[in-house]
Amino acid sequence: MAVNLDRRRINAPSGGTLAPVFARTVKEPGYLQSLRPSRTRGPNEPRQIFLQTGIVPSASGSAYLEIPSASSPSKSTLIPPTSSLKIAASVQGPKPLPRSASFSPSLLLTTTVKFAPFATRHRRGYIRDSTERDLGVHVETALRGVMIGERWPKSGVEVVVTVLEGDENGWWGDVEGNGTGNGGGWGLLNVLAGCITVASAAIVDAGIDCVDMVSGGVAAIIRNPEAKDAKEKVMRILDPCPAEHQEIVAACAVGYLASRDEITEIWVKGDVGTDPDGLIEGATHAAVGSLSVLKEVLLEALEAKFQTQSADANGGLKRKQQDVQMTG
Amino acid sequence: MATTTQSQPKPALSFPRSIFAAVSPHPFLQAHLTASTPAKAPLRANGRTAQEFRVPGVNTGSLTHCNGSAVVRLGNTSVVCGVRAEILKAEDAQGGGSDYTPTAEGDDDPERDTVEIGNLRLLVPNVELSTGSTPQHIPGSAPSTSAQTLITRIRSLLLSTHLLRLADLLIQYAPPAIDPDDPDAEPEKQVKAYWVLYIDIFFISIDGNAFDAAWLSALAALKDVRIPHAFWDEELETILCSDNPADARSLTLRGLPIPATFAVFEGRRDWDEEGEGEEINWVLSDPDAFEESVCRESVCVVVDCSAGRGSKGKKGPKDAVLRRIEKSAQRERVSFEHVGRPDTSGCWMIRSSARAVDLEIGALIES
Repeated sequence: MAVNLDRRRINAPSGGTLAPVFARTVKEPGYLQSLRPSRTRGPNEPRQIFLQTGIVPSASGSAYLEIPSASSPSKSTLIPPTSSLKIAASVQGPKPLPRSASFSPSLLLTTTVKFAPFATRHRRGYIRDSTERDLGVHVETALRGVMIGERWPKSGVEVVVTVLEGDENGWWGDVEGNGTGNGGGWGLLNVLAGCITVASAAIVDAGIDCVDMVSGGVAAIIRNPEAKDAKEKVMRILDPCPAEHQEIVAACAVGYLASRDEITEIWVKGDVGTDPDGLIEGATHAAVGSLSVLKEVLLEALEAKFQTQSADANGGLKRKQQDVQMTG
Repeated sequence: MATTTQSQPKPALSFPRSIFAAVSPHPFLQAHLTASTPAKAPLRANGRTAQEFRVPGVNTGSLTHCNGSAVVRLGNTSVVCGVRAEILKAEDAQGGGSDYTPTAEGDDDPERDTVEIGNLRLLVPNVELSTGSTPQHIPGSAPSTSAQTLITRIRSLLLSTHLLRLADLLIQYAPPAIDPDDPDAEPEKQVKAYWVLYIDIFFISIDGNAFDAAWLSALAALKDVRIPHAFWDEELETILCSDNPADARSLTLRGLPIPATFAVFEGRRDWDEEGEGEEINWVLSDPDAFEESVCRESVCVVVDCSAGRGSKGKKGPKDAVLRRIEKSAQRERVSFEHVGRPDTSGCWMIRSSARAVDLEIGALIES
C-alpha cells in the first residue's frame, strides 16, 4: 500500500494501516443483516435539509448544507448505520484575472470539489483523485450556464466545495461483503446534487448575477424483491439514500432551473428501462424540493442583513463617537 | 495624529472605516489603540481590548465516520477536526520495532512513549487550508508554507507535550498458558498491532489565529475519541474489534496543554516628527486576520493548567505549567525584545494566557 509519498504532509506509517474489522459482523452471519437500515420515508418524501449561508466571512459568498442521517445513531453498536451529507462551499471572486492570462470576454469559472479524508467509511487521501475531478466538472457544468458571465469580462471566480461527509455508494455490508455491490457510485449522485444546491446558495450569497437559481435533485428506480405487490417490486423514489436499498436499478441527478424549466446538468446511471423521462422528472421534483429550502434560507439571510443595516443606521450616532479618525 | 473627533474641526477628507482599513491598515490599527477615553481602555478595530480573547465554541462528535471529532469556532475562524483510528500490524511497523512496551499502568515513562510513538508514526496530523477558507490558499495546489508550518507545529507539540500514552495505542495479545507445570505463570503479552490516529484538521474559514483553533480542535477531538476494544483472534489470525460501545475506551491524555497566541504590533512615531523616539508597542491577544496582516511578529505560549485539578479543585494561573513558547521569526531580533522585559511581560503573558485557558477549558468541558 505504498502510496506516492507526499513530502509536504505528515505521512501514514509506510506499512499501511487497516480499518478496524468488527468481530460480530464476521463471526455471526445473521448479525450483519440485522444492522441493515431501511427507508422509513415515503417514496416521494425527500430528506430534511439544513442550509446556511455566510459561513466564511472572508469569502465573497459561502454556504453550508447538511442532510442529517435518517437513522439515529444506535446505542448498541459502534458501527454507524448510514452516513449523512455535509458540504461546505465558498466562492472567491469575481476577481481580475492575472495579467498573464489571455483575454476572456466573460467570467471564467473554476470549480473544485474535495472530499475530506474523514468523509467516507474508507479514509481518503489529500491529493485529488479522479472521482473528485469528475464531480468538479459536473458541478461546473451545472453552474456555468446559470451565471451571467458577460457582466464580468477579464475576471475569474472560484467555487470551492468541500465534502465533509458524503453519502455512501451502498450499504457498507453489501459493499464489503460482495465486493461488487451493484455497480456502485450511487452515493456520488447525491453528493453531486448536494454540491449543486450548496454552490448555488454560495453564488447567490456572493451576489453574482444569475438567470435563475439552480438546485440539485436525485431520483432512483429501486428493485425490492421482498415486496409482495408487483407494483412495489420496481418503484421510483425521490432522494434515495443508497444505504437503505438493497438494489438500485437506475438513478439520476439533475441541476434544475425551476422557473425556466431548464436542466443544466444531468447524470444518469444504471438501466433506466423504458421510462427515462419519469426518472428525470422525479429528479426535477426533488430539485424543486431543495429549491424551496434554498429560497427560504436566502430570504432569511437577506432579511437579517437588512435588519442589521437598519440597526446600524439607528445606532450610527453613537457609533460615530467611538470611531477614530486619522487627520493630517 | 489620532484623536477622538468631538473637539476637533471636521477634517477635509474622511473615509468610511472599511476604506481606511484597506488603504492604510497600520495607522488604522494604531489610531484605534491610541484613542482612549478616560473611562474606557482603547479598543482594537474588532472591538476587543488588547488583552481580550475570543470565546471559543466547541462541538464534539458530529462526524459519523470518525472515532472522535470536534468543530471549533474562534470568532470567524472555524475548524473541523476528525480523528480516525486505524490498525497498524506489528509486522508492518517500521522504524520502531524496539521491544519496549509499557507494562503496568503505574510504570509511566512519557519520554519513551513519545519516542516510540514518533518512531512508529502512530500520530498522523494533517491540516488543510485550501478549502476556500481564505482567498490566499488556492485549492488544487500543494500545501503552502504556512500550511506546512502549521502541520509541523501541531505534530511537534503533540509529541513534545507527551499528550498520548503508548499504552492506549497498543493492541496486545496474551497467549494461553501452555506450561502445565506452572499454570500461575503469567503468559507474556505480545504486541500484535498498534492503533494509528489520523488527525485531519480542515479549516472552513480563517480569521486569524489558525494555530490556536487547529490545536484546540485536535485536542477536543482527541478527548472525544472512543477506540473500540481490539483483540487478536487466533482462529482467523487477524485483529478484530468489538462493536459494543461499552467495551470502547477513551484516550487518557496527559494534561491539557492550551495555546494562546499574541501578536506584537509595532507602533510608529508621527510621520512629521524627525528622529528616533521610543517605539510604542502593543501585544494583542488572539489576533484576527487583519491584525495578523499588520503585525510582523507573533508569540505563542502553551500552558497547562490541569495539574492543579486534584489539589485545590480549582484551576488557575498558579497551577499553570509553561509547556512551550514559540516565536515567529519574521524579523531578526531577539525574542521578547518587543514584548518588554521578560520578567514583567513574560508573567503578563502567562497570566493572560491563563485567562484564555479558562475560557477554552470552559468551552471544552461544556461540549
